[in-house]
Amino acid sequence: MDKPEKLMIDGKRLDGRSPEELRPFKIVAGALERADGSAYVEMGNNKVFAAVYGPREMHPRHHALPDQAVLRCRYNMAPFSVDDRKKPGPNRRSIEISKVTREALEPVMFLELYPRSVIDVFVEVLQADAGTRTAGINAASVALADAGIPMKDLVSSVAVGKVEETVVMDLFKEEDQWGTTDMPIAMIPRKKAITLLQMDGHFTEEEFKYALDLASRGCTQIYEAQRQALKEKYTMRKEEE
Amino acid sequence: MVEVKTGDFVLPGDNLATVEEFFPGEGVYEEGGGIYSSSVGMVLIDVRTKRISVFPKPKTPAVLKQGDVIIGRVEDVREQSLNVSLGVLRGREDRELPAPKVGTLHVSRAHTAYVRELDRLFRPGDIIRAKVFGAQKEQVQLSTASKELGVLVALCSRCRSVLDKEGSKLRCPNCGSLETRKTTDDYRQGVL
Repeated sequence: MDKPEKLMIDGKRLDGRSPEELRPFKIVAGALERADGSAYVEMGNNKVFAAVYGPREMHPRHHALPDQAVLRCRYNMAPFSVDDRKKPGPNRRSIEISKVTREALEPVMFLELYPRSVIDVFVEVLQADAGTRTAGINAASVALADAGIPMKDLVSSVAVGKVEETVVMDLFKEEDQWGTTDMPIAMIPRKKAITLLQMDGHFTEEEFKYALDLASRGCTQIYEAQRQALKEKYTMRKEEE
Repeated sequence: MVEVKTGDFVLPGDNLATVEEFFPGEGVYEEGGGIYSSSVGMVLIDVRTKRISVFPKPKTPAVLKQGDVIIGRVEDVREQSLNVSLGVLRGREDRELPAPKVGTLHVSRAHTAYVRELDRLFRPGDIIRAKVFGAQKEQVQLSTASKELGVLVALCSRCRSVLDKEGSKLRCPNCGSLETRKTTDDYRQGVL
């Protein structure tokens, strides 16, 4: 992939969006049959599944905690999810994303309800187009609620960044690759509590404040869609009965 | 503030009431003076006891409570009790049980009649159906004092082959040894 000559043309981005616009997204609750809870999320060209199992007995047993459950997240990219084949298996990047996904979700969980157990969250990226960790967190959050596990709230996530001196929301691959800054954020939108904040690149103080505000607005939009996805699944079922 | 009423569909984090109005029940949590939903489901308000709860819509994790029927395997038979590793909760075979998946059955609750020797009722490896008697403690207390509770499948203590029912006793088809168990009334019928 060659660097495009310009990433912004007349205030519009290469895919035609304005700087403050999210990519079209889609959230489905309960997309997998055999998981205890699951979700499917598309954010632009990202396609991500999340599956939740448990709370169940921890194996190996000595990793269990005596007073609370362990939240175990695994973020994994399919070999065909990127242009060049990704070597299967965990690598430095996916181990880190698994960790930050877990830490983004832990604040909304009641882990003390299930001592000695484990709640497994699997995030599988089928197609990647920048911002897969945010899509993964959005999916995992819905999947946990779909598994009937008690939660304080849902977690929503979006990335903001900077391309050619403009702060933009929800970067896609070209912007992620050639832009100056990428900052994924996860938050509990109702409380405005940030559970994940990473940054690659730099912002001035004003840009950072603006970017945070932009992310907060994006998360609220996604939050509504997550709620809608759960509502659709569980109010449809009521009519069937 | 919007009034929440019984039958409303709520999601995790939805504000239901303030702590002054209601006691928090199941499926809700209390934070900073407010009561919030912790589940996807329907609001239930008990006006008499002033209790607000949320009845979850998704299939929730299988949690044991008194009166539940479980299927387990006898791990260890002692003089006064036996240890059982819990397999599944009847009616919730779709969901694994959270840890710790162990239970204990005291000799006093093994049979309706007096039991002199517990190892004439159970042997290690037997698959049993038991009722949950108490689930508050770390170890779940079980009971098999009923005719539909007891051993579902028993193995010969000499050769480990599956025993056949012969009258009130069990006969090993392989080595002919005769054994006793507290069997269920549907021993080896393949019904959980």
